[in-house]
Amino acid sequence: MRYLLALILIVPALAQQPEQPAKPADQAAAAPAQTEQKTESPAPAATEDWITGSVDFGYRWVSDAGNFESYRSVVNLGQGPKLTGIDFTILDPNKRFFDRLDARAYGWGGDPYSTAHVDARKLGIYDFSFDYSNIAYFNALPSYSNPLAPAGFDEQSFDTHRRNTSLSLDLRPGKTIVPYLAFDRNSGYGHGIDTWVQDSNDEFAVPTLLRDSTNNYRGGIRIEWCNCLHVTLEVGGTTFKDDDQATFSGANYGDNTTPLLGQTLELTSLQQAYGIRGSSIYTKALATASPFSWLNLYGQFLFSEPRIDVHYTDLATGNFALLSELLFYSGQQNIGTGAANQPHTSGNVGFEMRPFRRLRIIESWMTDRYHDAASPLDAEQILLTPKTLGPDLITAANYSQAVNYNQQQTDVLFDLTSRLTLRGGYRYVWGDATVLAGPLSQSGPLAYGQLSRNVGLAGLTFRASQKLSVNLDYEGASSDRIYFRTSLNDYYKLRARARYQLAASLMLQANFQVLNNQNPNAAIQYNFGSRDNSLAVYWTPAGGKRISVMGEYDRSTVSSSIDYLGLFLSPAVSAYRENAHTASSAIDIALPGYAGLTPKFTAGGSLFISSGTRPSSYYQPLMRLSLPLQKHVSWNTEWKYYGYGEQFYLYEGFRAHVFMTGLRLSR
Amino acid sequence: MLRPVGNVRAMFLAAVALFTTAIWGAQDKPGAPAPPPAATQPAEYAGSQACQLCHEDIFNAFKKNPHQLVETGNRNGWATRACEACHGPGGKHADSASAADIRQPAKLKPADTDKICLTCHLNEPTHVGRINSSHARNQVSCTACHSIHANGPNGLVARRQTDINKLCAGCHADIWASFQRPYKHRLPEGAMSCVDCHNPHGSFLPRSIQTVNANEPGCFKCHGDKRGPFTYEHPPVRLEGCMACHQPHGSANPRMLTRAEVRFVCLECHSNLPTPTPAATLGTVPPAIHDLRLPRFQNCNLCHQKVHGSYVSRDFLK
Repeated sequence: MRYLLALILIVPALAQQPEQPAKPADQAAAAPAQTEQKTESPAPAATEDWITGSVDFGYRWVSDAGNFESYRSVVNLGQGPKLTGIDFTILDPNKRFFDRLDARAYGWGGDPYSTAHVDARKLGIYDFSFDYSNIAYFNALPSYSNPLAPAGFDEQSFDTHRRNTSLSLDLRPGKTIVPYLAFDRNSGYGHGIDTWVQDSNDEFAVPTLLRDSTNNYRGGIRIEWCNCLHVTLEVGGTTFKDDDQATFSGANYGDNTTPLLGQTLELTSLQQAYGIRGSSIYTKALATASPFSWLNLYGQFLFSEPRIDVHYTDLATGNFALLSELLFYSGQQNIGTGAANQPHTSGNVGFEMRPFRRLRIIESWMTDRYHDAASPLDAEQILLTPKTLGPDLITAANYSQAVNYNQQQTDVLFDLTSRLTLRGGYRYVWGDATVLAGPLSQSGPLAYGQLSRNVGLAGLTFRASQKLSVNLDYEGASSDRIYFRTSLNDYYKLRARARYQLAASLMLQANFQVLNNQNPNAAIQYNFGSRDNSLAVYWTPAGGKRISVMGEYDRSTVSSSIDYLGLFLSPAVSAYRENAHTASSAIDIALPGYAGLTPKFTAGGSLFISSGTRPSSYYQPLMRLSLPLQKHVSWNTEWKYYGYGEQFYLYEGFRAHVFMTGLRLSR
Repeated sequence: MLRPVGNVRAMFLAAVALFTTAIWGAQDKPGAPAPPPAATQPAEYAGSQACQLCHEDIFNAFKKNPHQLVETGNRNGWATRACEACHGPGGKHADSASAADIRQPAKLKPADTDKICLTCHLNEPTHVGRINSSHARNQVSCTACHSIHANGPNGLVARRQTDINKLCAGCHADIWASFQRPYKHRLPEGAMSCVDCHNPHGSFLPRSIQTVNANEPGCFKCHGDKRGPFTYEHPPVRLEGCMACHQPHGSANPRMLTRAEVRFVCLECHSNLPTPTPAATLGTVPPAIHDLRLPRFQNCNLCHQKVHGSYVSRDFLK
């Protein structure tokens, strides 16, 4: 990607090569063309900059105390020289390759989130877009993996990056028929600690190498006709591969350190490799139309058929147990093969009808259907000694799964007055699922589930004046069938949002949201409730020229309880509580200026404090000072503090001061 | 190989029939959108040059604005009168210089503002989900996000991740508060934006979730390794989506889980308390009974690490 960054930096230079004096003959030929160009899209005036933008760079120091693995899991900002941002726009006066090019890149120089974006367009010829991101995923939280090992990079930890690249090219944008091509790639790479599981007797932490990638290629045409019809036809293909590996050599006694029938279980070597390959081709058609001024129609249909082929091997040596046969053995080899095929059909149609000036009726219907056919096979060969074969264990299956989801919704919107719009509606959701049952299932290899839910909808929008607006949404539902114990069952959801312009420089905004879900079934007893209230204040006296203040406060609560069978199958309740306060603020102050330059000071940040099942606190205050040195150069300094603490896992807390200073060059 | 069932075909045919009717209707044009004004400029139209006399800053900025196409192109029939395409005939206003004599879309009812925008933008691919979007239902007008006169690197709407997030947080302050939690997607850092996951114009998925590739939830755009199909699927992933176990906006729990400890995420479904038919739920019977007193059995993911789906193990062990 460093080459990409170099390219981004070089493009401005290439785009503005010194103009050669035009030859007389060329000048005559160019004159009409220039006139035509001016009519199409006027070139920037000669006095305007052909390039505008900025570059931010500097050096960051990080001083942290506490659990470094937690810091990396939550914040992960590193020390060193950083290119924090490049952002520029080029308006090519000659319009040779493009009319306009916008490019921006942020977080380069080892930051955990690096992004780049380029848009280039030439009027009526093409529209090109490139997007890239490389995001680090580091997670090594002892409380998540193994609470008894509160340090270090332990089980279920990983240090990976996920990269996303997207390219799209629209040809003849703005015309009636627009062909387009696109490519997307998502890939992950890095390492981690997984467990190699030996039956339920023991599991051994082993280092893994993680590699996967998904490529998507698509192309199609968009047809837009007289603003009353649009059709998009698209064909796409996806390829996928997963080549995760695990390799270990040494003495590993696993998590079960208690001898089993007098013997200590041990893993001495492991070689594990996945070779997963997938492909899919899909076809999509979507359309919108407005045959009459009072009717809008839309619809979409898609069919895809992804397929996965599985190749898996592992070879492990050590001292293992097969309790079902009271057998101890020194090695095992697994070979897994199989395939999964998943035809996927989805479609939706709907319309918006306005039979009268004040009335809108919106109807929609959708279906989404996955039908799986899978045939996995796993052959396990037990090695009593490295050269003596033991029993074979073959696990094979050949089954089909189906998931069908359907939804129909009707909404009616009525303008009671010019300021008040009322909404009412009804949604019916239904579906069925046939899935592989658990190994201990008493009702056969497959399990069946159904979904049937009736939802009533209501709401209003009230705009008392330009200064006050209120939105209210209510959703109440009753379910006859649900898929899971924790699914939405009998619930109501209410959301209110209000904005009030108290004065020209002062605006208030309030949000209120509540969700209550109940499942009184005797074997479930699920009670879930959540509330979220927030208030935001924006104060911008004199349009925020001197000072602007933003403050937000949010209070949220979650309360959940559900029955289950715990230890020795005794009745137990899983209860979860959270009572959280979140506040964030930003104060921007324009300091007294000098030489026509205005320094700017920013202070603010956020805090999060919660109590309940996992009490924790997270503070992120910040201060920033921007001192202009001259018209196009400013010196920026920033201090941030990250403080994280947990009441039950004190060892996971950290405190970090992050100090950064650097320059911003702009034009 | 399994094929789509018959009623899907019927739906597709119905959709085709519907659109055939639509096209037929459009050709008939009994109530189609009003055609662009005739080439002869009516007296009440003043032309953009007249607007420039008083609003030169807007006029100059507009030259670099994508809507400049309206001024210079002929497709929409508003050449040389782009201002009046949205503001209506400006002749009277040009004479009186009174704000009362000109249409100000920003001060109209949202539905009326949208109607102006949709005069040109009604049938576009981004609007397939518009009718169903919560923004449309809640009367959030186009101009709430798009600045029609604006110019600069952002054009008509915020493009930088941080700007997009700021724009969305302006209304969704409660959601933005979730991103101040320790475990969240990297929005405050500017690595992502709200529109990476949500389509503000609407989507056919709930909560305006973006779709990728073959109409799959936008989550798989970045987490392609969780997409499948797997030879052993974990049904909640397909049936309830990521939010069955995760809080994507932010959580106090590691890995954005809905519960503080992994085992409760699992045990609340795998409760070993089967519900009797007809209200039977899936997955109630656990795959095995472990001694939950032991720490090694308190995090189910230690062994059942492929909970998003496995290629090899029915128990998601590898």
